[in-house]
Amino acid sequence: MAEYLDSERKLNLKVVYYGPALSGKTTNLMQLHTLLNPQRKGELMVLETRDDRTLFFDMLPIGLRSQEGLDLRLKLYTVPGQVQHDSTRKAVLSRADGVIFVADSQLSQQDNNATAFDNLADNLQKLGMDIESLPLVVQFNKRDLPDAIDEATLQARWAQTPWSPLSLASALNGEGVVESFRQLLRRLYPVLDREYQLAGRHGIDAEAFVRQLSAAHEAPHA
Amino acid sequence: MRSFEDDPRLADLLSADQQARLGQLIGALGGGRVSLEEQHQAGAEPLEFNLETIGWLQGELPAERLDAAARLVEFVLLFVAKYRLAANLHNDTTEASFAELQRQHAALQASEARYKALSEQLQERVEDQVKVIEQAQQQLYETARLRAVGQLAAGVAHEINNPIGFITSNLRVAGDYLDELAEKVPGGHSASLLLDDFRALLRESLSGTQRIARIVADLKTFSNIDQADFIPCDLNALLTTSCHLLQAESQQAIDVRLDLAPLPKLAGYPAKLSQAFFNVLDNAAKAIDAEGVIRVGSRLAEDVIEVIIEDNGTGIPPDVQERIFDPFFTTRAVGSGTGLGLSVARDIMRAHRGEILLDSQVGAGTRVTLRFTCPNTP
Repeated sequence: MAEYLDSERKLNLKVVYYGPALSGKTTNLMQLHTLLNPQRKGELMVLETRDDRTLFFDMLPIGLRSQEGLDLRLKLYTVPGQVQHDSTRKAVLSRADGVIFVADSQLSQQDNNATAFDNLADNLQKLGMDIESLPLVVQFNKRDLPDAIDEATLQARWAQTPWSPLSLASALNGEGVVESFRQLLRRLYPVLDREYQLAGRHGIDAEAFVRQLSAAHEAPHA
Repeated sequence: MRSFEDDPRLADLLSADQQARLGQLIGALGGGRVSLEEQHQAGAEPLEFNLETIGWLQGELPAERLDAAARLVEFVLLFVAKYRLAANLHNDTTEASFAELQRQHAALQASEARYKALSEQLQERVEDQVKVIEQAQQQLYETARLRAVGQLAAGVAHEINNPIGFITSNLRVAGDYLDELAEKVPGGHSASLLLDDFRALLRESLSGTQRIARIVADLKTFSNIDQADFIPCDLNALLTTSCHLLQAESQQAIDVRLDLAPLPKLAGYPAKLSQAFFNVLDNAAKAIDAEGVIRVGSRLAEDVIEVIIEDNGTGIPPDVQERIFDPFFTTRAVGSGTGLGLSVARDIMRAHRGEILLDSQVGAGTRVTLRFTCPNTP
């Protein structure tokens, strides 16, 4: 959960990229590191094993300082997707403010998506969080692959869930990554505003929140 | 403990020694004294990690070199932090896994204990069941034995009835002949004495045959096993025969005092009612000593017939009273009591829509009341 230090006027937030193994969570984060140009951006920390699989997590800190003086930090984490790292996944997921679930669009990976999504719900419950009320974006990645399920089918399948519409991405090509992140920021803002009066006390409205945290290099936001 | 994701302080990443050594090395490279500080000092360059200023680089270097030196320190810190974060996370998850394992272990132990208890319970239940089966077998055996004894008694009674009939009749005729003989024998002291003696012999023999006839009749009543339907029963007659049987069976004389009021006939199984009476009487007989008295009474109050069998024997302690109607509960030595007597009596009373009541005082005696409701009383 978000952590607010009144003495320093500092708000720490945590967003976790969750999903099955090899669905592109680390790629999402690396692209964000390249593409984003927020007010403040730290070093991307990647803890992978020799064969490029995430062992512990990846982490990218970004931040903004409002004119009223709020120091807002957002740490983006990825979890290891492989089944056997469940306790690590749970530790990283704890106290998350928002989750981006990165699913694999390939037809052959749908079972893995479902298993990972169940695992997310399960771990959230164990950590005392409710998947229905947590800001959550579902991203279908790897849209560039030939056997990706078509968009209409996917959107129809998820239409009745609280997470519709889905976000689509081709993270390797940098497509849809920033958009997914923005979608999450838009779902996250109302929750934070309710709790910390971002607009009222700190002068950050939804538009500024999203714009300042997700300013991109290639297409400067209006 | 601090969570793995808490922002580290400079001291968390590098020990004081390491900070001093790094400062020295950079100082040597840059050509001036350099040190890492936790607190801000004038002219110092901030050291950032995760957007957080965690320390300051203080040194006598040109601003450009100090800046480069600070970035170099940050570069080093990133890798130190990477290891530190991974190590902390590993520690966190290991502890969580261990806690989970312990919890599972405890759950497993609890489950094992539960199964152990269950298995013991099961063993107990098997033993109880075995006991019930053994009891049922014994009951069956007793019933079969009683039936066999009853059939034998009925057969013997039937066979004895005929010879007893003609012996009785012949003894009477012999008495008549003796009278005729007395008239024809000339009067004489010795002959008269002889005839008197003869008459006495015949009288005793006749009384003996009457007694045999009565025992046979009792046996027939008692072993009346073939009657399957309710028939009108004379409870007083059944009581009387049961008392006779009790006295006949007993090794020593038993003082049984009857006080029977006229009763209407009651629909029932005479053999079973006799058995119930006998079982209660038998208990009474075993409770009394040589001076003991058994009082047997019957009375009619409105539509309730009461049969009261009372003794002035040892009495029954309260804890025994609680279980006295339980089948196979017995206070007697193994082999001498089946523990069935009163439970059979109670079953018989239930079959006749009656009840059996017990009132006993240790040392004063026991009173058993058998109550029958007879709806057909005129």
